[in-house]
Amino acid sequence: MQVKMLVTRKPMKINNLLPAFITRHVLFALIIGGVAGIGFILFLIEFDHFTSSEAFCTTCHSMELSAEPYRNSVHYKPASGVRASCGDCHVSEGVFAATWDHFIGGKDLIRQLFGENYDDPVVNALHHPESAFAAREWFKKNDSATCKRCHVKEAIFGKRPDTQQIHLEDAKDKSCIECHYNLVHRKVPHKKTFKREAWNRMIEEEFGLEKGTAKKILDDEE
Amino acid sequence: MKPSRQISLSTLTIIVGLLSMLLINTTAMAAKVTLNPESWGSEEGKACIDCHSKASAGLTHQWKNSAHAQANVNCLDCHQAYEDDVDAIEHEGSVIATIVSPKDCGRCHETELKQQQGSVHTQALSIIKNRMPALSEHFGSPTINDAGCAKCHGSKVLVRGDGTLDPATWPNSGIGRINPDGSVGSCSSCHGRHQFSKAQAREPSACIYCHSGPDSPDKEIYTTSKHGMMFDAHKSEMNMGSDQWIAGKDYSAAPTCVTCHMGAAGKMKSNHDVGMRDSWNLNAAVSEQQYLVIFEDGSKRELSTSDPLPRKGESINKLDGGMGKVKAVASPKRRRQAMTSVCLECHSKGFANNAMQQFDNVVELFNKKYGEPAQAIMQELYSEKVLTPLPFDEPVEITYWKLWHNSGTLARHGAAMTSPSMTWKGMNDVGSNFYGKFLGQVRDATGKERGDALIKKYVNDSEHHDWLNHPDKANPILGFGKGKDEETSVSESEDAGENAGDEKANED
Repeated sequence: MQVKMLVTRKPMKINNLLPAFITRHVLFALIIGGVAGIGFILFLIEFDHFTSSEAFCTTCHSMELSAEPYRNSVHYKPASGVRASCGDCHVSEGVFAATWDHFIGGKDLIRQLFGENYDDPVVNALHHPESAFAAREWFKKNDSATCKRCHVKEAIFGKRPDTQQIHLEDAKDKSCIECHYNLVHRKVPHKKTFKREAWNRMIEEEFGLEKGTAKKILDDEE
Repeated sequence: MKPSRQISLSTLTIIVGLLSMLLINTTAMAAKVTLNPESWGSEEGKACIDCHSKASAGLTHQWKNSAHAQANVNCLDCHQAYEDDVDAIEHEGSVIATIVSPKDCGRCHETELKQQQGSVHTQALSIIKNRMPALSEHFGSPTINDAGCAKCHGSKVLVRGDGTLDPATWPNSGIGRINPDGSVGSCSSCHGRHQFSKAQAREPSACIYCHSGPDSPDKEIYTTSKHGMMFDAHKSEMNMGSDQWIAGKDYSAAPTCVTCHMGAAGKMKSNHDVGMRDSWNLNAAVSEQQYLVIFEDGSKRELSTSDPLPRKGESINKLDGGMGKVKAVASPKRRRQAMTSVCLECHSKGFANNAMQQFDNVVELFNKKYGEPAQAIMQELYSEKVLTPLPFDEPVEITYWKLWHNSGTLARHGAAMTSPSMTWKGMNDVGSNFYGKFLGQVRDATGKERGDALIKKYVNDSEHHDWLNHPDKANPILGFGKGKDEETSVSESEDAGENAGDEKANED
């Protein structure tokens, strides 16, 4: 009798523990939803990870143009072999922040698809300063958070004895990006001293274009 | 009693001290910096020092030992720039420029800037802009121009679109440098940064940095002159670091380059227009005496005595291509007087004038004997199309260039600065070049007949080369008449003597 009762009371017990509105269907939905949720988070982690890679970023030809100087930089081939890939610097830490950054970064994709022909090295180079300014803003806003993933101010010894001292004393209250804003990609002056005409002229000379071509390209875009 | 007496003594010392400071100030120091000291010592600039004493300890140390540091002039006072300056860069929150141009220095050193602008030094690049590439690029490549020529003559500094300075044109502290801000020259050519020591700039080595070597052999000349000899021996008595540095007053052991070419001497004031006291253009195929034309806007140019003499108020071409109204003209004679007045601090008038006469004679000799005929022959070769217009593609062009530009300069500068050995070496090289190489190469280029005719016209028919017309005139310097020939020639001459004697006897 007792055994029988136990068998018959078992489902009763669960019903007793859970609120009445959790029916069997709801329970299934919850389990499936939960697993799907975990799956989605795992997917995001993987997705963020994949979309932060150099291989993914450079599937757009325009990004290949930014990657070129990076591949000659110390961040690409450091003596230690610790390589920072695109997302290590340009995508925040944490799945939600990373997803958000990718979401915002989606505008680059939209511009790539529907905007100017950024695959053209001249157009790309002419627009490069704006990207640099935006990236610097982003680093500044984050207090150079992505730099600090790897770099610890107190641990910057440098090659000269004073490098550590400078970082600990003179740069104590500074964020990495305030000084190191021409580190990896093509050098662009600070926004304060940037001169559009001089930049255009440099690109024209670099690509053997006639004087005034750059301005014409930019004017035509508007 | 005792303390009060001490006080009165110290008060007296202070008064005397103040008076003497005032006296010194009114003589040579006062004109140096005319800006209010409140305009320097930028607060923002003080922060530079802390980091730079670590990041670039050497230059910060130099600055710390400078008069600038003593006067609280800091990094930013000189390096500050406006955002829209061509070469402005952002650096640690400040807007600065790497290059401190004469215009920047002139914010305080107004007098020096005025004197320097338009001086022959500022034209070091512009007056040879055609010559320089021909030499450096034909004999080397633009690379040698950047690392050699332009280091003294100056580069035209280019700022690239990314804010960096074109590495072909910077670093450069050439004295005729064309700066991004449009000003010309570089104070740090002579005043090594960042200490800007007076003593260092007064050293001959400050000038020798450029004035040495084959085409500007002033080091070689000065060090083998009596002046250089005296400087070497008495360097410690030169009072080189003195604020006031008047020859004959603050020092008398020896003149350096600065003393004669720009220094204060007696009533003659110091002047950053270095060529002002020069009356000849010695670095030319043929030297001419030079007027110094000063324009209303402060710029200057030289004109040869063969050019029409400009009058005051007249508008003539300036070196930059524009027109300028003539404010004053200094004649070569006046310029010579200025130079000679320095000599008079140590020499008598007669002594100085005679030395100048000896110098002028050498220049005239070079002109007449070598400069003019060689130039005339070259012009004929070009007009007859024996030579291509391209410089240095024919051997005779290189020979001719070295004749006046290297050896000729050594001889003429040697005479100007009284180095007997270099004057002779120069003229000896000119002669060896002319007779031993140049004339032969002219014949090679034209063919013997035409060559002989040209040489007869410009060389043999000139009194300076008359010795060429007497090929039989014997001299044993090269061994003519030695050995077997010597015996015969001796016996011949003995015979001749005997015969002559016989004749005489016969006559008797």
